[in-house]
Amino acid sequence: MTLTPPPFDPELAAVLEMIKETLPPKLTMDEIEATRNGPGIEMLADMDLTLGGAFEVEDRIVPGPENAPDISLLICRPVAPATDGPLPVIYHVHGGGMVLGNNRVGVDAPLRWAKELGAVVVSVEYRLAPENPYPAPIDDVYAGLLWTADHAAEIGADAERIVIAGASAGGGLAAALALLLRDRKGPQPVGQLLMCPMLDDRNDTPSVHQMEGLGVWDRTANDTGWTALLGEQRGGPDVSPYAAPARADDLTGLPPAFLDVGSAETFRDEVVAYATRLWHAGGVAELHVWPGGFHGFDGFAPQAVLSQACQTAQLSWLRRLLAE
Amino acid sequence: MKELAGRLTALDPDAGAAVRVIAYFDRLAEHRAGLEALVRGVAVLAGCPARLTDAGRRVHLRVETDGRRRDADQPPDPAWPSAALSPDGAPALWLERAEAPSVVDAVILERAAAAIRGVLDRTRGRAPTAPDDDPALVETLLDATAPEQVRLHAARRLGLDPAAPAHAIAPLDGPPRILAAAALREPVPVGGRLSAPEEPARAKPAAADAGSATTALPSGRVGVGPAVPVLELPGSWAAARTALRFTADGTPHAPGPRVVYADELGGIGLLAELVVPGADPPPDVQALEAAVADAPWMLTTLHAVACTASLRSAAVEINVHHSTLQDRLGHAEALLGWPVRTPQGRLRLQLALTVRHLGRA
Repeated sequence: MTLTPPPFDPELAAVLEMIKETLPPKLTMDEIEATRNGPGIEMLADMDLTLGGAFEVEDRIVPGPENAPDISLLICRPVAPATDGPLPVIYHVHGGGMVLGNNRVGVDAPLRWAKELGAVVVSVEYRLAPENPYPAPIDDVYAGLLWTADHAAEIGADAERIVIAGASAGGGLAAALALLLRDRKGPQPVGQLLMCPMLDDRNDTPSVHQMEGLGVWDRTANDTGWTALLGEQRGGPDVSPYAAPARADDLTGLPPAFLDVGSAETFRDEVVAYATRLWHAGGVAELHVWPGGFHGFDGFAPQAVLSQACQTAQLSWLRRLLAE
Repeated sequence: MKELAGRLTALDPDAGAAVRVIAYFDRLAEHRAGLEALVRGVAVLAGCPARLTDAGRRVHLRVETDGRRRDADQPPDPAWPSAALSPDGAPALWLERAEAPSVVDAVILERAAAAIRGVLDRTRGRAPTAPDDDPALVETLLDATAPEQVRLHAARRLGLDPAAPAHAIAPLDGPPRILAAAALREPVPVGGRLSAPEEPARAKPAAADAGSATTALPSGRVGVGPAVPVLELPGSWAAARTALRFTADGTPHAPGPRVVYADELGGIGLLAELVVPGADPPPDVQALEAAVADAPWMLTTLHAVACTASLRSAAVEINVHHSTLQDRLGHAEALLGWPVRTPQGRLRLQLALTVRHLGRA
């Protein structure tokens, strides 16, 4: 097998050129703090959460996991929903490699879907590694989901129609959440939307090596993120599927999945493998591999033609999923 | 990317943003991105819709700030910031925005235009030849017997938009030319065009047109046919040649306008069909020839009277005192055998001058 990486889509290559200083491909443990406070995260989090007045926005502090701090949920509800009655929920888990970001990061995509579909968006704030290693992040994500299901009526939502969604580390956490809810017999989401999800702590697939030093979130950054979450356990024999869903032996009984990933990114092979294993387990999954896409391209460059196709696919899947 | 570009611009002085813009388009070009990706980059980075129009190569493309392509029917507003694809070319890349372009906008337009030119040259052949560089194509377009498809192809090769009107131009010296209507100003109100100064008010330098590289009238005597759809150019060409017969060098021996627009001739144009050059002149023209032979000032004086609004302005035109003019006209009327200072007599003089001119052409 060659290590020649697939070429970036021309438009996306040009975008990378613009953001490479703000978001370099490599991230080391020493750079986490500076990156958290740098322009990149601020840029991704700085948006009009009302989408031009379409949503009313609230930050709700709710109980966290047992013996853990409260957590904060960003709740965005349509101001004028087209239908009476409870609305579906998009429960959003932000990305940032387990070590970066807040519940604003990347929430523009779920807000756009929700505007189209008439849904409530709940975006959960979770504790970040390395200060808060596994299981702190997934515990917070799980606690937020339980609160959302229990208080659905309160926020005009339907506990029976929760879609869990996330990008990158958020995609990994959403996949882990689906496993947890299955195993703990918790409220069952109707679907899991996993955008370029971070699934495998072993960080050793061909795409990981192919894309080293390229794009966004390369092998070094991935090592940093997983090591922050798992410490010395990373890559070893005892990693929980709730930390790294690729470690799950059993992928049966999971809600329908949507997975997407770029062909020119670190996570390509682990995402394709996860989708394949969902089918092997008799599951329902839709997989899109976007040629020349770098990690998170649709969030960084929503106007690019490949991003438009990617957004169309996401929305189409949600429409089919939530059709009554 | 919009947010990104906006943030980057906010975080950065213009120079920093400009550097990123340059890197962006360089990278697109390096990866051989297509036209739509380039125009999308313009729209997203400038934060307003952008469009590309290259009639010669049949490219019409418009992208909005959300990156989606939505082409428009209306032509671009000439006031919008724009860039040409070649040094002397017509504007082809536009920012749909009323304000003057910022420094970054200018960089965006310039870099994108360069990249677009590269793509067009690579994918759609060289830029259209200027009309005066390719007489054969012009000839084809002016040939009513050539098949329509062939003429449309010739129009596009010449950089003309088949949907936009154009003029056939008949210069006295030189091959026929074709000029997009947008390259000429709107016709001035019908009036004394025949006494217009050398530089016609309607000719102007490069304007927003359909991509023709020729945007000004040739020098010397020129007949301009009416603006017509390209398939009707043979008719415009016939009218241009007629108009050419009414032009003059504008010298004392041959007073008159150097540029004549066929659509401003009105009924006078009919004379061209009646007068055969070299044929025996009618009596009034014979009388006029005799008068012109009588005095060196005669022709310019009579021309001034025929073509200005009043005797006072005629005197100014030929730089003589009003009473001198009256004396001269008395003399001229005796030679001609009709008054030139009554409306009817003035019309008769105008006709005689015009028929004489057409007979000599």
